[in-house]
Amino acid sequence: MIRLEQVSKQFPGRRGPVRALDGVDLQIADGEFVAVRGPSGSGKSTLLLTLAGMIQPTAGTVTVNDRSLYALSGQGRSRFRAENVGFVFQMFHLVPYLNVLENVALPGRLVRVGADVPDARCRARGLLERFGLQDRLEHTPAELSTGERQRTAIARALLNDPWLLLADEPTGNLDTETGASVMDCLTELHRAGKTIVLVSHDPGVDAHAGRVLKLRAGRLEGSVPAGG
Amino acid sequence: MSPWLLMLREMRLRWLNFALALLAVAGAAALVVALAGMGRAANVETKRLMRNLGFNLLVLPGQADLAQYWATDTVKGDMPQSYVQKLAQTRGIGADHYVATLQQRLSWRGLQVVLTGILPERNAVDAGDKAPMGYSVGPGECFIGYAIAKALGLKEGQEIEIAGVRLKIARCMVEDASKEDVRIYTHLMDAQRILKLPNRINTIQALGCLCKGGELEILRGRIAKVLPDTYVTQLQNIATARMQTRHMVEQNAGVVVSVVVLTAALWVALLAWLNVRERRQEIGVMRALGFGSCHVAVMFLGRAVLIGAVGALLGFAVGTWLAGQYGADIFKLTFAKVKPAMDLLPRTVFGAVLITALASLLPAMIAVTQDPARTLTEE
Repeated sequence: MIRLEQVSKQFPGRRGPVRALDGVDLQIADGEFVAVRGPSGSGKSTLLLTLAGMIQPTAGTVTVNDRSLYALSGQGRSRFRAENVGFVFQMFHLVPYLNVLENVALPGRLVRVGADVPDARCRARGLLERFGLQDRLEHTPAELSTGERQRTAIARALLNDPWLLLADEPTGNLDTETGASVMDCLTELHRAGKTIVLVSHDPGVDAHAGRVLKLRAGRLEGSVPAGG
Repeated sequence: MSPWLLMLREMRLRWLNFALALLAVAGAAALVVALAGMGRAANVETKRLMRNLGFNLLVLPGQADLAQYWATDTVKGDMPQSYVQKLAQTRGIGADHYVATLQQRLSWRGLQVVLTGILPERNAVDAGDKAPMGYSVGPGECFIGYAIAKALGLKEGQEIEIAGVRLKIARCMVEDASKEDVRIYTHLMDAQRILKLPNRINTIQALGCLCKGGELEILRGRIAKVLPDTYVTQLQNIATARMQTRHMVEQNAGVVVSVVVLTAALWVALLAWLNVRERRQEIGVMRALGFGSCHVAVMFLGRAVLIGAVGALLGFAVGTWLAGQYGADIFKLTFAKVKPAMDLLPRTVFGAVLITALASLLPAMIAVTQDPARTLTEE
């Protein structure tokens, strides 16, 4: 369970402080698929990074499974992310000098797994097969299509089997067809039990989410059930 | 995937940045190693060149008439030969080599000549095992000045007789256009026999005064304590020339090395900063994936260490090659002293690694402290 209580975040700006989040109250249950929609600059990415422990709120608390996220040290939050959170970005952010297999296996060295769990490269290979990228293992990101890059990024997000998947405009750089396949992929992960928080300005994501939140000027304006 | 493999992959992608940093480190290391490799030869060469200027310190009998000495190169009065031994065995004088001489002007075969008997050099007890600097004439031998040899048609290997003492000409000296041309060098014992002054000398030449606090008054004070009935004077021009030459060589090398190392460090720092700038989003992603600040620091400092170590090894090889290749041309007298300074290898690697790590420290700190959230939300 993720709980945000009166979370606000201000950034310094040239013409005074900019309020990115303004008194956000939010609860996300385990296994939920929540879409946060809003126009550019509404605070969607800030909300997502706050949930990941990467942006310390100016006010309010973020609690994950009854544990205050920002009471942890920087190192503790890094460990929290490595063990619990998978990230998918609009710009994919694959490491350009690693091939597909190495990119997906990259977070593997952050989490210690039991002897019964296959090593990171083995798990990465399995994930890439699952996403239809088994022929692209040795390719660099520059040699992939945008859809393949996003699927690689999703595979990387899943490597350490996180329960929470955070997706920042995952279809923002994709054409309609590829975007739809990525959303299908996220839906499938949700059905498999992952908690997904997705931010987007694309209304097309609503159909996949269990709940849609509207964010405007840093404030949640409403929470409506969706079709997912 | 190990951090080192990550670094290698990154450097392969951004090879130009890596190559430019490596070039700077290797260049600086090569210069240091080449200078050090040639340094020994440079030291010996400087000493040899300076030796030609002669000794710079004179110890004369107490009653010596300096005006006569400068006019005739000989001195009235004499002192015991044991003085040179006494001086050499006293610590803390501030001079290295001592040469006892007995010299007098005399008329020989119709020529006015200066007979100079010299005893092989003695090193001061605290000067270590330094190579002799001046002439060494064996017993029964002599060196003949150019003007005498020319006037009398003397050749090397001939025998001559002075005041009943027979001597073999070991060397006819080249023209010097100085009093050297009318000088006959013999072993001290032979000169003592010719002049009938057994166990007596009238000059002790010394080389010293290079140490700080080696000024004439201090030296006089030190020597006066050991040999109270002598007079000490210094050939100021020679002393100054020696000191200035040596300091100039040391300072020039020091300035060149400092400037090159500093420039290389700034260059490495600039390239590291550009690397951090270029990798802002990568750093953001790493942080989002859960890599801590230590991982990020290791990524950049490890890169610096790798550049430093590889650059130092490369520079050592190039510097050693340069010293061997050009050392012989530069140091014609002492090229045999130009040798690979293997003892410098660990110091070169350690120094280069330390300097590149320090130069990359600020960029690495920028990488660690940059806000990953900001770079990840940038379009």
